[in-house]
Amino acid sequence: MNNLNPDTNREFSVVGKRIPKLDAAQKAMGRAEYIQDIKLPGMLFGKILYSKHAHADIVKIDTSKARALAGVHAVLTGEDVPKKMKMGFYKDNPPIKKGKVCSFRDEVAAVAAISPEIAKKALDLIEIEYEELPGIFDPEKAMEKDSPLVHEYHKSNVLNLPWKLHYGDVEKAEKESDFVVEEKFTTQWVTHCCLGTSGAIALFDSNDNLTIHTNTQIPSLAQKDFLESLKAMGLVNKRVRVIKPIIGGGFGSKLDTYAYEHISILLAYACRKPVKIMFDRVEEFKATSTRQPTVIYIKQGCDKNGKLTFRDMRMVLDNGAYTSWGATTPSVMMMPITSLYRVDNVRFNAKCVYTNNTYSQAMRGYGNPQATFAIESTLDMLAEKAGIGRVDIRRINRNQPGDITPQGFKITSCGISECIDEVEKEFAIDGPKEKGIGTGIASLIHVGGGARIYKSDGCGAILKMDDYGKVDIFTGGTDMGQGLDNITAQIVAEELGLYVEDINVVHTDTDVCPWDVGAHASRSTFVAGNAALGAAKKVKETILEYGSKFLDADPEDLVLRDRAIFVSGDPEKSMPIDKLLRKAHFSPQGKMLMADFFYDPDNENMGKEFKGNMSVTYAFGAHGVKVKVDEETGKVQVLDYVAAHDVGRAINPLLLEGQVYGGVVMGLGYALTEEVVTRNGQNMNANFRDYKLFTAKDAIKIKAPVVETYDEYGPFGAKGIGEPGCVPTAPAIANAIYDAVGVRIFDLPITPEKVLAALKEKKSATTEI
Amino acid sequence: MKAFKYLSPKTIEEAIAFHGQHSETAKYMGGGTDVIVKVKEGWMEPDFLISLKKIKGLCELHKNDATGELSIGAMVTHATLEKSLMIQNEYPIIYDAVSNIGSLQVRNVGTIGGNLINAVPSADGAIPLIALDGVALLHGPDGERSVEVKDLFIEPYKTILKPGELLKKITIPPPAPHTGSAYIKFGRRAAMELPLIGIGVLLTLEDDLKTCAKARICLGVAAPTPMRAFDAEKFLAGKEINEEILIEAGKIAADESKVRDSVRGKAWHRKEMIRVHVRRMGLKCIEIIKNNR
Repeated sequence: MNNLNPDTNREFSVVGKRIPKLDAAQKAMGRAEYIQDIKLPGMLFGKILYSKHAHADIVKIDTSKARALAGVHAVLTGEDVPKKMKMGFYKDNPPIKKGKVCSFRDEVAAVAAISPEIAKKALDLIEIEYEELPGIFDPEKAMEKDSPLVHEYHKSNVLNLPWKLHYGDVEKAEKESDFVVEEKFTTQWVTHCCLGTSGAIALFDSNDNLTIHTNTQIPSLAQKDFLESLKAMGLVNKRVRVIKPIIGGGFGSKLDTYAYEHISILLAYACRKPVKIMFDRVEEFKATSTRQPTVIYIKQGCDKNGKLTFRDMRMVLDNGAYTSWGATTPSVMMMPITSLYRVDNVRFNAKCVYTNNTYSQAMRGYGNPQATFAIESTLDMLAEKAGIGRVDIRRINRNQPGDITPQGFKITSCGISECIDEVEKEFAIDGPKEKGIGTGIASLIHVGGGARIYKSDGCGAILKMDDYGKVDIFTGGTDMGQGLDNITAQIVAEELGLYVEDINVVHTDTDVCPWDVGAHASRSTFVAGNAALGAAKKVKETILEYGSKFLDADPEDLVLRDRAIFVSGDPEKSMPIDKLLRKAHFSPQGKMLMADFFYDPDNENMGKEFKGNMSVTYAFGAHGVKVKVDEETGKVQVLDYVAAHDVGRAINPLLLEGQVYGGVVMGLGYALTEEVVTRNGQNMNANFRDYKLFTAKDAIKIKAPVVETYDEYGPFGAKGIGEPGCVPTAPAIANAIYDAVGVRIFDLPITPEKVLAALKEKKSATTEI
Repeated sequence: MKAFKYLSPKTIEEAIAFHGQHSETAKYMGGGTDVIVKVKEGWMEPDFLISLKKIKGLCELHKNDATGELSIGAMVTHATLEKSLMIQNEYPIIYDAVSNIGSLQVRNVGTIGGNLINAVPSADGAIPLIALDGVALLHGPDGERSVEVKDLFIEPYKTILKPGELLKKITIPPPAPHTGSAYIKFGRRAAMELPLIGIGVLLTLEDDLKTCAKARICLGVAAPTPMRAFDAEKFLAGKEINEEILIEAGKIAADESKVRDSVRGKAWHRKEMIRVHVRRMGLKCIEIIKNNR
C-alpha cells in the first residue's frame, strides 16, 4: 500500500491502544452532569405549546388565562418573536409561528414559570382558534401545480436549491451499455434516538450578554446563530457564550439550532432570569428532526464485462414544512453517486419539496445511506442481469488509490479491495445456498478527512503544560459520547511521551475553546486530532530544546516516553518531564510551555457543478451479512455480520469498534425496524414501545475487521470512522434477503409484512405462469 | 407527574379498607410497571396508590401435590414464574409467555396479576392462563368470588372487577395427562416488545396419543380483549391431530379473529401469523407430549 507516512512503522505507547473511555466510570456511576442535572439559581422552567393541526390558520390566540396563573413569568406567542429571528440556512423557520401553522410540530406559544408543572398548566390555559387548511403530505403530489402551498410567499412547494450535476454523457453511455437496471426506491423517516433528550438553559448577564447551556455538536456555529438572534432582538455588539454539558448522543441531531434554544433565549430575556427548557421523550420524538426521507429513481448500466458505464439518479425529498440540513443531504449523496466505484458518466438531480410533515436534519451518514441503498441494491440486480458474481462486479469497479473521481475527489489511500477480502474471509458471498438463508454484500465511500461544506473546515487547539507534567488541551472539537476526548488525549500523550491520564481535554465552553466547524462528517478524529497534534508538536519542539540544553545532547537524539526525556542510545542520560518543566519555569527568564494550533485541512469547497476535492481523504468499507428469512412470516433474522472498514489507522481500536458496532446496529434498525409512522403529518409512534429501535437483545454479534492503510494526511495515519458503520447496512440486508428467498424490497424498513407480501406476489406470479 | 400518596398495607383487609376510605381517588398497584407509567404520562391521576407488595400470601407460587392444582398469587413476578423449574417443565405455555415480557428489569418487578388487571389486548400473561382454564380468585369489600380468567376482560383497560375488588390469585386445574402447550409472541424485536399478535395453543390427547381430547387456542391482540378461538377449538376436538388438521385449525382461528390494522401492524399479516403459528404451536404441543411420554 501507499506507505507514505513516516509514522507507519513507529512503535507507539498510547496510540493504537485499547484505552476505555475516560469518562466511562463517571457515566456508569451516574456522576456525569447532563443538561438534565444542571440547576442555576433563580432558574425558571420553559415549556412549548405545539400546533394541533398539520396546516391551519391561527384565527385567535388568547393567553390571558395563562398569564394570570400564579407562578407564570412570561407567555410568548409568534407576535413576540422579532421578525428577523429565523432558523435554518433557508431562513424559513421562526422559533414561534405567527398567523399560520404548517406542521404538527409548529411552536405556537411558550411559557416560563417557576416550576415545570405550572408551566404545563399554563400551556393548557392558552386558547387558540384554528381554521384548518388542506394539508399536503406527499412530496411528489406537492410538486403538482394545483397542490396547496405550504408557504404562500414561497410561490412553489419546490425549494430553490441547486442539486443537479451531470458528468460525462449519461444518455450516450446508456445506449452503449449491455445491461441496464432501472428501479424506484423509497426510504423512511428515522430519528436519532439520543438517550439524552434535548434541552437548553439561557441566561443574560446585567449587560445583556447571553450564556446558553445547550446540547450542541456545533458550539461555534450555534454561537453565530444565537448572535443573529440577539441582533434580531435589537441586542447588538453583545457576547454569546455556549457551554456544553455532557451530551447523551448526537448522531447529527445537534448540527443545527432548534426552536427550543431560541425560545429559551426569548424567555430568559423577557424574564431576566435563567430559563431551562427540557424535552421529554415524546417531545424528543415529535419536535426534533429526522433523517431525510427520499424517493429515489435510479438507472445503472454496465458493459458485458461488468464495468459500470453510467449511473443516473433522480430524487424527490420530503422537506417537511421548514428547512434544515436535511435539505442539503444531496450534497453528500453526490459522493456515493459519483464516486462509489469507478463510473465515468453520472447524472443526479434532487428536488426538495415542502410538505406539512416534520422537517429533517443531519443524521449519521448525511444522505449517504439513502443513496447507497439504491446504488448497492441495483448493483446486485445488474450483476445478476449480466451474469457476473456479486463480489466480482464490485472488484471490477472498485476505487483505487490515485483515482480522481468524476466529481474531482482525489482518492489517496483506499482499502475497499481489502475490505471485500475481509468479508469473503467470513463467508462466501457467491457460495452454495441453504434454503431460506442468504448472504449480501455492500460497500461504501465516505469522507474521511474532513468535509469542506462550510467556508472553513478548521479546528483550533490550545495546549498548556503545568509544573507537574500535566497537560490541559482546549479544543474546538466536540465529544458527544463518541470519544473524541480519548482520541485527543491519546494523540497528545503519544506525541509528548505522556500517559492519557496526564491529559485534561476541555471542549465545553466557547469562552475558552477555539473555533471549530462542528462534530460532523466523521471529521473530528482527523481534523480535531490534527489540531491537537499540531499544538503538541509545537510544545514538543520546545521540550526538546530544553532537553538538549539540560541533557547536553543533540535534539535529534532525544526521545519522549514514559513521562521522561531520554537520549537515545544513552539510557543513563534522562530527565523526568515534570522536572524539565519546572527547570524551564523556575529559572531567570523562565518559560511555561504552551502552544496553539489551527488546523484547516487542504480540501476544497465544491465549485462549479459541485466539483472539488471535498475531503482530504476518503474512508472505504464493505459489509457482509448472512440472514435467514422465515418464508411463512416474512421475518428476517440476521445470523452473521461483518463490517470491514479502511480507517487509515485505529488510534483506539476499542472505541473504533464501538463506533462500528453502533453504526451497524443503527443501520440494522434503518434496514429492518425503525420508522417514524405518520398519519396526515402526525407522529403516531412517539415512544420507544412503537418506535422499534433495536434493543440490546436484538443486537447481534458484529465482526469489525480494521484495514489500516495509513493515510498520509491523517493524525498518525487515521481517517474518520464515525458514520460509515450505518451506510451500507440496508442494501447489504436487502441483497441478502434477495439471495435467501428471491424477493427484493425497495422500500425501507424491510418489515415482515413487506417481505411476506413480496413472497406471496412472487408465488402467485409463478403459479399464473 | 401529579403527586400521590403511597400506601403499603400488610393485609388484604387493610388494602380494601384503604380503598374504601379513598374510593375514587385510590388505585391498587402491583409491580407498578403499567400503573407508574400511566401516572407519569398523566393518563391516570390517583391521589393514593395502594401497593399490594407487602401483603403476605399474594406472592405465593404453589402446586398442591395432592390435588395437582397450581396456585399463582397475583403478586408473583414474571421473573419468579420464568425461573421456576416447575413452570418450565409442567406449564411451558406460561414460561413461553412470561419470559418474553418487557425486559429483565420489567420482569423482575412486573406481576402476573398486574398484567391481567391492566387488561390490554396484548397482555402476554393472560393467554396461557386462559388456555390453562385458569380461575381468578377476587377479593373485595363483599368478600371473595371466583371467575374464569377468560371472563375477566370487558374491553381494553377494563375488567369485571368491582370498585375496591382486587385479584388474589389464579388457580390452574390439574392438567390432564398427554397435554402440551406453547405460546409465541410474534413481534418485531426481541425485547421491550408488545406482540403484534400472540398465539397460545394447548392440546390434550387421548391415550392413543393421536386423538384430540381438548384444544385451547387463545389469541392476544386479535380482538379488544384476549380471546379464545372457539370455532378452531371445536374443529380440533375429537380429531386425529396432524399437520393438515392444524393448518385447517389455523385458518379457522384466523377467520374468527377480529384483527385490525393499526400503527403496529396490518390486519392481513396478523391473520397470516395466526394461521402459521396455530400450526407451529400445535406441532410444538405434540412434540412436548411425545417427549413427556
